[in-house]
Amino acid sequence: MTDVTAVTMKLNGVTRTASAVPPETTLLALLRNQFNLTGAKLGCDVGDCGACTVIVDGNAVNACLMLAAQADGSDVLTIEGLATLERLHPLQKAFEDNASLQCGFCGPGVILSAKALLDENPDPTQQEIRDALSGNLCRCTGYTKMIEAVQVAARALRAKPDA
Amino acid sequence: MKAFDLVIAKDAAHAVTLLAEHGPSARVLAGGTDLLVELKSASRVPRVVLDISRAAELKGIELTDQGLRIGALVTHTELMRFPLIRDLFPALVDAAHSIGAVQTRNLGTLGGNLVTCVPSMDSGPTLVALDALVTITGPGGRRQLPLSDFFAGPRKSMLEPEDLLLDIVIPKENLGKPADFQKFGLRKGQALALVNAAASLWVDWERDVCVAPRIALGAVAPTVIRARAAEAYLEGRAITPEALAEAGRIAVAEARPISDFRASADYRRDLIAVLTRRALANAYARATAKRDGEKQ
Ligand SMILES: Cc1cc2nc3c(=O)[nH]c(=O)nc-3n(C[C@H](O)[C@H](O)[C@H](O)COP(=O)(O)OP(=O)(O)OC[C@H]3O[C@@H](n4cnc5c(N)ncnc54)[C@H](O)[C@@H]3O)c2cc1C
Ligand code: FES
Ligand code: FES
Repeated sequence: MTDVTAVTMKLNGVTRTASAVPPETTLLALLRNQFNLTGAKLGCDVGDCGACTVIVDGNAVNACLMLAAQADGSDVLTIEGLATLERLHPLQKAFEDNASLQCGFCGPGVILSAKALLDENPDPTQQEIRDALSGNLCRCTGYTKMIEAVQVAARALRAKPDA
Repeated sequence: MKAFDLVIAKDAAHAVTLLAEHGPSARVLAGGTDLLVELKSASRVPRVVLDISRAAELKGIELTDQGLRIGALVTHTELMRFPLIRDLFPALVDAAHSIGAVQTRNLGTLGGNLVTCVPSMDSGPTLVALDALVTITGPGGRRQLPLSDFFAGPRKSMLEPEDLLLDIVIPKENLGKPADFQKFGLRKGQALALVNAAASLWVDWERDVCVAPRIALGAVAPTVIRARAAEAYLEGRAITPEALAEAGRIAVAEARPISDFRASADYRRDLIAVLTRRALANAYARATAKRDGEKQ
């Protein structure tokens, strides 16, 4: 039993360790406060809004509902890991071109939910896209342009899977 | 969240030892989608949180001598994707799919859902309608009981503080039993059930009558309940639209719905009649499709 533990994860492709993590720390708090990755947002803190969505071992999860220690040994992708210095990920590009976001608070979570969907299902129906985004609340947009952007990105990724 | 100690169980036996050691001062953590929400707003947290999420024996889905065994740690997403479940029990896929949203289903486990004993839980009704059993392990060894007896009251299961839920077993005789799950929430995603209902039935095609019907209802009583009078009415009866509607009406009288901010008791009663009828009709449609498939 411990007051603090070390947590090691592959974070956006790079192995990172946080040495003194109190057990009650959520993955979200670890990402934001220890690793300074503030793309995942703290919205509701109880699993309702999806603003904290990250991808853990291929699955979109709410980082506010996972203890940092539970992610020990995992592969974690946050919005910061999507673009390279040279170019945006096709999803980010499609969201930008399509003006799919307004204030942007929900954006990192929405885009990661969409990424997890497309990784598993490269050619989703509109209903499947809606289902994949139903855990991401957006107060601004009404979702229509997001769904269109996911369709555009899906087409781009199917044409050029490595883009 | 207030501070607690975190202990990670290597396997089920280790978890049982740790629970025996810490007793009621410990709480089990599986997917955390319920427990962490609870602990975040709690004024007092347990001294110890026991993370069982790495215990391999609590994972996996397999056919055994007893039937279909589903590990307590199987997530709702895993359940939805598992070929054998999709094949044998599309109703379980629908029930899992109706829970929260993708993020919740990726973390939340079947065992965690059942242990919460929330009356509106979406995993309960279909499994009750399939006569599922639960396996519990604790200081006194293993025991099994029907899932319907596992629900002791609202937010109260038959688990002692030292117990662990190991798995859920659908008995062999019910493998492939036609079933259906219906949920009515205020939205399609991320909404709890105002009422949910599940039904399962066999059909005696010689006489075209219903055999071993089961009806289970959620969010209409302190626990998930079986509508036994409606089941008895249907047993051995010809399956007609009128009979299914009457079963729905009988089920209403067996439930004790309350009024709350989500819906009034009257509205819930209307929903029970409709959802029960739909669940029965869809289970019958699945039985028919299965028979026609087998004929070819
Ligand atoms: C945003 C959101 C939406 C939701 N929507 C729905 C919904 O639509 N329908 C629905 O039914 N539920 C819903 N839930 C509730 C919850 O996600 C489910 O009940 C989930 O399946 C719980 O599983 P878990 O593994 O996360 O449980 P945990 O939070 O880890 O545990 C829940 C409880 O069970 C105990 N426990 C867990 N596993 C075991 C075990 N093997 N042995 C002994 N005790 C155990 C824990 O100690 C705790 O008391 C929702 C939750 C959230 C946050
Ligand atoms: S902050 Fe995690 S779901 Fe809202
Ligand atoms: S763009 Fe503002 S919340 Fe979605």
